[in-house]
Amino acid sequence: MNQSVVQLRGITKTYHIGRDITVNALRAVDLDVGAGEFVAIMGPSGSGKSTLMNVLGCLDVADGGTYLLAGENVGKLSDDKLAGIRNKHVGFVFQTYNLLSRLNAIENVELPLIYGGDRHARRQRALAALEQVGLGDRIHHRPSELSGGQQQRVAIARALLNDPSMILADEPTGNLDSRSSAEILAIFQRLNEAGKTVVMVTHEPDVAAHCKRIVRMRDGLVARDELVPHPRRAEDEIAAGIGAAE
Amino acid sequence: MKLYDSFRSALQSLVVNKLRSALTMLGVIIGVAAVIAMVSVGNGASASVQATILNLGSNLVTVQPQFGNDQGLKGAGAQAQNLTLDDMRSIQNQLGDGIAAAEAEQGTGRWQVTAAGQNWNTQVTGVTEDYPIVRDWKLDSGEFFTTSDLNVNAQVAILGTTTAQNLFGDADAVGQTIQLRQVFGGDRGGGRARILNFRVVGVLTTKGSTFGFSRDDQIVVPLTTAQHVLTGRLNIVNSIVIKATSSDTMDATTSDVNNILLQRHNISDPASADFTVTNQNDTLAALSSVTGTFTLLLGAIGGISLLVGGIGIMNIMLVSVNERTREIGIRKAVGARRGDILTQFLIEAVALTGLGGVLGILLGWAITEVVHRIPQAASLPLLITSGTVIIAVGVSVAIGVVFGLYPAMRAARLHPIEALRYE
Repeated sequence: MNQSVVQLRGITKTYHIGRDITVNALRAVDLDVGAGEFVAIMGPSGSGKSTLMNVLGCLDVADGGTYLLAGENVGKLSDDKLAGIRNKHVGFVFQTYNLLSRLNAIENVELPLIYGGDRHARRQRALAALEQVGLGDRIHHRPSELSGGQQQRVAIARALLNDPSMILADEPTGNLDSRSSAEILAIFQRLNEAGKTVVMVTHEPDVAAHCKRIVRMRDGLVARDELVPHPRRAEDEIAAGIGAAE
Repeated sequence: MKLYDSFRSALQSLVVNKLRSALTMLGVIIGVAAVIAMVSVGNGASASVQATILNLGSNLVTVQPQFGNDQGLKGAGAQAQNLTLDDMRSIQNQLGDGIAAAEAEQGTGRWQVTAAGQNWNTQVTGVTEDYPIVRDWKLDSGEFFTTSDLNVNAQVAILGTTTAQNLFGDADAVGQTIQLRQVFGGDRGGGRARILNFRVVGVLTTKGSTFGFSRDDQIVVPLTTAQHVLTGRLNIVNSIVIKATSSDTMDATTSDVNNILLQRHNISDPASADFTVTNQNDTLAALSSVTGTFTLLLGAIGGISLLVGGIGIMNIMLVSVNERTREIGIRKAVGARRGDILTQFLIEAVALTGLGGVLGILLGWAITEVVHRIPQAASLPLLITSGTVIIAVGVSVAIGVVFGLYPAMRAARLHPIEALRYE
C-alpha cells in the first residue's frame, strides 16, 4: 500500500426519522484505502455500509470526522464542489446500472465528460472505454437492447471515463446471473491489476472472495478488516464453466 | 457543461416524448397565434380608420359653427354669428403662405338630377376654388371652376365618378348640361318645380367611401352659386377647411385660425367662441387611442391564452422532472452541478415555448390570411408587423423561462441519493 486514496477518520453520520427516532448509521469509522487496492465492504442490512458508500462517493457528507479523498478534504464542501469531486475522483457502478434509457451506449459512457474534464476526443475516449469492457461492437445500442451484464459493462466504461481515483461499486452483481457476475468481477480484477482502486459494497461472500481485502461493517462501525490471502479469480471460473452450469 | 450539450439533451427528451411535447406546445402555439391574429386585426382596423380620415385630405384644420346648448340664452346680446365666405378669405389673406390652401363649403341637400334622359338623386355641395388642393382630390377630366366662376355665381358643376357614370354612362360628361330640380309644396303634381341648368366642367377621380358613404356620388358647384341659386342662404358657410403646410404646423395654424376668427367675430373670451376649430391630428389621435385600446384588448385576449399555455408548460415540466428524478440522480452522480441541471430543464422549457412561438406565428399568419379571404374583412389591411413577431417570440421565450424556472429549480435542488433511490 503506497499513497492513500481514501482516508476516513472518526466519520459519523446520524439520520433522523420522524421527530424522535435517530439512527446512528456511522459511528466513528476509520478506514484507509490505498491506491491499487480492491476492497469489499460487507455487512448485514442496517450495518451502515450503504451510508459509508454514499460518504465515500461524496453523494453525502458526514456529520463528523474528516475524509480525505486523494489528499483533498471533502468533508465540508458545497453541493457543486462535491459534484466536481464526484466527476473527477469517483466512478460509480450501481446495482441497477443506472444508465439513461434514451441514450445509446456510447452517449451514456460520454456523460461524465459533459460535466467536466477534458472535452476533447470525448468520443474516442468513450469508445476506448467501451472496448476495454468488451463492448466495442455495441456502441449504438440502447440500454434496452443490451443484456444486464452488457448494461453493467457500459456502466463500468462510464465509471472509467474520467480516469477516477477510485471505482465505487454498489452491489454490482446483485441483479446478474452468475455467468454475467463472473464476467463483471473479471473486469474489475483486470482493472485492478492495471492499477485501478476498486471499492465494492456487497453482501455476498462469494463475490467478496474475489477482492483482496474485506472490510466488515456492523452497527455503524468497522467490525473486521482483513486481507484475503488468495482471492478467487473470476477468469478461471468462467473458463471452468461456472456460469454455464447454472 | 457546454450549452450545446444542454441543447442536445433538451431536444432529445422533447423528441422522445413527441406527443406530449406537441400537445404542450399547442398551448403556446394557440396563444401566440391568437396574439398575432388579434393584434394584426386590431392594427388593421386602426390603419383602416387612419386611412379613412386621411382620405378626407391631409393636414386639415376644420372650422365649424358652434351650436352650443346655451345659444338661446345669449338672447339679444352677442348673437352667434355665422361663418362666412369672408371669414375664409380673411384667413387666406392673413395666413398667406403660412397655409397650403383653404376652402369653404355649404351643403345644399339632395337634388334630383337629370341629364341625357337619365335620372339620379344625389348630394350637391357648394365649395370654393381650392377644394381640390385642400381635399387632395384631382380631376379625372375637365377643369375645376375658378374664382371668376365664384364671382359670377356660374352654374357649373363638377361630378363625382359614380354620379357621372349614372348620368352619362361611359360617355364624356364634360361639356354636357345637367338639370337640378327640387320640388316645393307637398301635393303631388300641385307643387312648383324649380329646374336649374348646370354645365358640367369636370369629373373628379375615384375616391372610395368614408365610413360607408360613397364620396364619389356627389356634385360640387361654386359656393356662391349654391348660396344664391340653390339655397338662398346667403352669407353663410357650413365649414371652412384649411390645409396646413405640414403635420408639424397644424397646431400653429389651428391657433392662428382661432385668433383671426375671434377677432373677426369680436369675441374676447375664447370659451364663448361661436365656432370650433378641429385639428385633424387631434381627431387622428383620438381615433388611434380608441383603436389602440381595441388592439390592446384583442392582444390581452390572446395574452390570456398565452398565459394558459405557459401554465401548461409548467405543468408538463413538473411532470417531466418528477418522471426523470432518477436521470437527475444519475447526472448528479457523474458530476452534474445544480446549474447544469437547471440549464438543461430550462432549455427544455424554452425550446418548447420558442418552437411553439415560431409555429404560433405561422398559424397566426395563416389565420390573418384566412380572415383576409372573408369578403367583409377584405378591405381591412391586416398588419403583421415585425414588432408583433419579435414581441410574440420574446414573450413565448420569456414564458418558457418564467414557467420553466420553478420546475428546473426543483430538479436542480434534488439530493443525488434521494434522486437515485427514486423508483
